[in-house]
Amino acid sequence: MATMTRLQVLDPTVQPIPQHAVIAARPDTLDGVSIGLLANGKPNSEELLEMVREVLADRYEFGEVIARNKGNASRPCPGDILDDLVERCDVVITSSGD
Amino acid sequence: MATVTANPLTSDRLSFDDSAEVHAAFMDRGWTDGLPIVPPTPERVGLFLEHASRSPSEIIGAEPTKGRVITAEKVAINAVMAGCLPEYLPVVLAAVEAISEPEFNLHAVSVSTMGAAVLTVVNGPIAKELSIRSGVDIFGPGNRANATIGRAISLVMSNTTGATGDLDKATLGHAGKYTWCIAEAEDVSPWEPLHVERGFSADQSTVTVFPGLSPIQVGLPDTTRPELILAAFGDALFASGPGHDEILVVLSPEGLGHIRSAGWSKERVKQALFEAGRRKASAWAAAGAGVVSEDPDETVGVANSASSITLIVAGGAAGGACVVVPLWGSGANSVPKTKEIKSG
Repeated sequence: MATMTRLQVLDPTVQPIPQHAVIAARPDTLDGVSIGLLANGKPNSEELLEMVREVLADRYEFGEVIARNKGNASRPCPGDILDDLVERCDVVITSSGD
Repeated sequence: MATVTANPLTSDRLSFDDSAEVHAAFMDRGWTDGLPIVPPTPERVGLFLEHASRSPSEIIGAEPTKGRVITAEKVAINAVMAGCLPEYLPVVLAAVEAISEPEFNLHAVSVSTMGAAVLTVVNGPIAKELSIRSGVDIFGPGNRANATIGRAISLVMSNTTGATGDLDKATLGHAGKYTWCIAEAEDVSPWEPLHVERGFSADQSTVTVFPGLSPIQVGLPDTTRPELILAAFGDALFASGPGHDEILVVLSPEGLGHIRSAGWSKERVKQALFEAGRRKASAWAAAGAGVVSEDPDETVGVANSASSITLIVAGGAAGGACVVVPLWGSGANSVPKTKEIKSG
């Protein structure tokens, strides 16, 4: 029996460049921890993060709260803001939405 | 028959019994725009790259936010799928280079809830060489070059930048996301064309990419007076909101004819459009645009200046329809880019 010729085609997609990152160690408690609040520049993102802070503040006593706003929701967070949060915070809470 | 290229094609290969299986598989994987595609066989893709004299591994662009690098091979695969002819590939490559410019902000344009599409405007001799439509029904179907070049750019965006259904959160989107490629009607326009305005010579061929939102159609009044024709754009501009660094206006030949007869320059037309789009701050507030000035009587424009208006001539000879194309990012968060087309 003749072998059927198969139709070979090429994959049109591109996979992301693999990035290797290590998950940061999680604190056992938020007591005494420095908290960062990173808003994404959209309306109400700061208000949402403040509400989250208030809820958590009922249960924990934070060391320090640092609130930053990346300003432009459509571009990655500027490096200087990230550096500031990494330096000063143990945990950062961010918001993503429209 | 295509010859073997010096640099082999490196994309993963998939085998199917026939083209119907290819269509079904590509649809299931989300690799199409919902329409059937031309199966991208290695032979077809190799032919496209040889025609354009491009190496498959040449890096054409990138989308760094999602960590994607776009090679000539990947652009050619999507161009084959779209139904392009091999000679269209240089146009598609130039458009991908343009949308990869950091200032164009490809990631945001491709996933935003506002639902922008890439409008590609072709200028220079290549438009006629490839029969890219600049006239009647310019945003409509039926012309292979317009339909497939625009479609190839859309498929490159969705297949190579990760902006698929999962990430593209457009509330509505618009039909330009299927395909949106036109040529400017340079032989109809009395003014210097778009690419010459942007620093290229008339005999160079270029693409200019715009992050276009849904076009707003303008019906022209029954008059020969240029100032009234251009005032008619006011409400369509107003609908685009205040404070644009760039906004696109497409002027069709019938409206252009009266303006040309009156001897108006392109700059004078832009100035009139700029003024047509100015409103008092109180009017902006009443329309829901918020507080644009502490002084309710201050006049604030749709465009930040007359030079913020990008004006091209295109469309059929009969009929008074023109359009305003608002741009995602208002010309600031995404900046339209022009690239020369490098032919093979």
